[in-house]
This record gives sequence, structure tokens and C-alpha cells, in this order.
Amino acid sequence: MEQIDLRLRARRAYELGRARLGAKAAAVVLALAAAAVALGRPVEVTALLAAALLPLTAVLAFRGRAAGRAVWPALLAGSGAMLMPLAVRAGCNVFGPSCMRFCLPACVLGGVLVGAAVAVLAAREAEGEREFLLAGIAVAGLAASLGCTLAGAAGVLGMAAGAVAAGTPVWLGARTRR
Amino acid sequence: MDRSARDALQRGMGRLADGDRSAFEPVFASLWPVLRAFAARALPDRAEAEDAAQSALLKVFARAAEFDPRRDALPWALGIAAYECRTLRKARMRRREEPGAAAPEAMHAGTPEDVAIERDLREAAAQILGALSVLDAETLLAAARGERDPSATFRKRLERAIARFRKEWRARHGAD
Repeated sequence: MEQIDLRLRARRAYELGRARLGAKAAAVVLALAAAAVALGRPVEVTALLAAALLPLTAVLAFRGRAAGRAVWPALLAGSGAMLMPLAVRAGCNVFGPSCMRFCLPACVLGGVLVGAAVAVLAAREAEGEREFLLAGIAVAGLAASLGCTLAGAAGVLGMAAGAVAAGTPVWLGARTRR
Repeated sequence: MDRSARDALQRGMGRLADGDRSAFEPVFASLWPVLRAFAARALPDRAEAEDAAQSALLKVFARAAEFDPRRDALPWALGIAAYECRTLRKARMRRREEPGAAAPEAMHAGTPEDVAIERDLREAAAQILGALSVLDAETLLAAARGERDPSATFRKRLERAIARFRKEWRARHGAD
């Protein structure tokens, strides 16, 4: 095999390896969407959110760099925030329907935790911290929305506001200390 | 590979794992000669060594996205190359063991040295077969002729016979 041909094949193998990484991230999104449906979220809304989240995570993981590094921690943080309102709803089966009033605060709290976690990780990045922050917030926010739609549009907006409100000062503070 | 080249390879693999495509060329340029030299030392046949090195290089790049930068890149890549060399060597041995494949190989590997090595190996194997019990020798010969009984009893008997054959070989010749 000519060296130039070998180089081309090696490059193709590398890109395929990265595509496999993107496919893994997409598979995690599918699992999250399936979990949201299994926990009672409507299929239509979940499919819509998953249709936005799936290509985003796959492309970011395939591309790599700072945005690619943000995918896995953001999916982890987002899935935690997704489960918070769903856990409240599960609690209502035990404590009665009145505890549904905690759904919205659970979404906001989830957003705060997601924003703070992503901001702390972004501030640790040696290069591309803005890229990490933006990608992380987008992925984590969409993942959290899979559960926060339980509290309606207010739940999703509350989660997003919580993420921005907590993430911004944490990120700025960490940058100032550096 | 000297220290600075090794450090450069480590940095390059870390960048490739992170998705930095600009690291591809330097990693390719530093890794290919190393893998080629490694395979040439591990496999006596030049064509096979070239195949093993190319296959190892493609696997290294296919797995580059999963490379953990905390690991040492050179032993990681050489581990993949060693696996490829071992796989090729095993495939060659299997081809030799197959009765149908023996004839064409014998035509190609017909140097006096190869013939002498082959004869010595056959004699050594025959001596060890003679030292084993009749049942073990019969089981091994039946398996070599392709007359394998599909029963679990025959399989276990064959496993035991192979283990005793290996033990005897090691005791006499010191290697597998």
C-alpha cells in the first residue's frame, strides 16, 4: 500500500472512531428520552426535545475540542436535573397530589445545580472555556428539559433561568480567581 | 524513539483524542516508522510485518478518540501492534495445521533451512507423542486427522492431552 493511501485510510479510520464516539453520545440521549417516557412524560414533547438534543450531542462529540469535552459532564448534570421533577412526581404517589407544587422549584433547583456544575468545569478549562460553557449549558439544558416539561413551559424557563443565574457568577468568580 | 519524540507523540495523541485534527499529520509521521520497525522485529516475513504494521496503524487511529491522555501513548500503540503481530502469527500457524493449506505453503517455504526446521519439529513432536499415554496420543492424532468426536468427553480428553503435550514440550524444549 502506498504511504499516501495509508495516510488516507488512517484519516478515515480516525474520523470513523470519532463518529463512533458521537453515536455513543446519541445512544445516551436515546436512553434518557426512553427513561423520560417510561417515567410518564408525553411521547410527542419528549421526541421533539430528543430530536434537538440527539444531533447536537452527536455532532459536538464527533467534532471534539472544548465543546466535545462538555458533552459527557453536561449529559450527566442534565440527566440529574431531569430526574428531580420526576422524583417529585413519584413522591406525589406516596404523599398525595399537593406535593406537585414542588415541581417548579425542583426544576429551578435542577437548573441552578446544572449551571453551577457546568460553569465550574468550564472555568477549569485551559482553552475554549466559553465554547465549553455554551455547549455544556445547551446540552444540559435540553437534557433537563426532558423532565422539566412536567411543570410546563414555566418549568423549562425556570430551569433555564436557574442555570444562567447560578452559572454566570460561578464562572465569573472562577475566572477572576485564575 | 528518543525522549523528545516520545513527548511529542504523547502530546499529539492527546490532541487527537480531544478532536484536534491538526495533530493527525505529526502523529502519523512519528508513529508509522515505529510501528513498522516493531512489526519487522516481531515477524520474520517482510510482507506479513508490513501488513501487521498497517493494520496496527489503522487501529491506533480508529481508537485515537478513546485514548486516555493520562496513559503513555507509545506503549499503548505498541500494545496494539503486538496484538496484530500475534494475530497474524496465529493465523499463519493455523494455516500450517490445516491439511489442505500445507501443500501450497510447503511449495513456497521450500528452502533447505525450512525443510530441516520442519523435520526437527516433527521429530520432536513424535518423541513427545511417544512419551504420552496411548489414550492421549490417540486423541491428539485423531484431532490432527480431523476425526473429532463432537462429544464433551472427547473435548475434555483432548484438552487434557494438549495440556500434557505442552507440559512435556516445555520440560524438554523450554518453550511453547
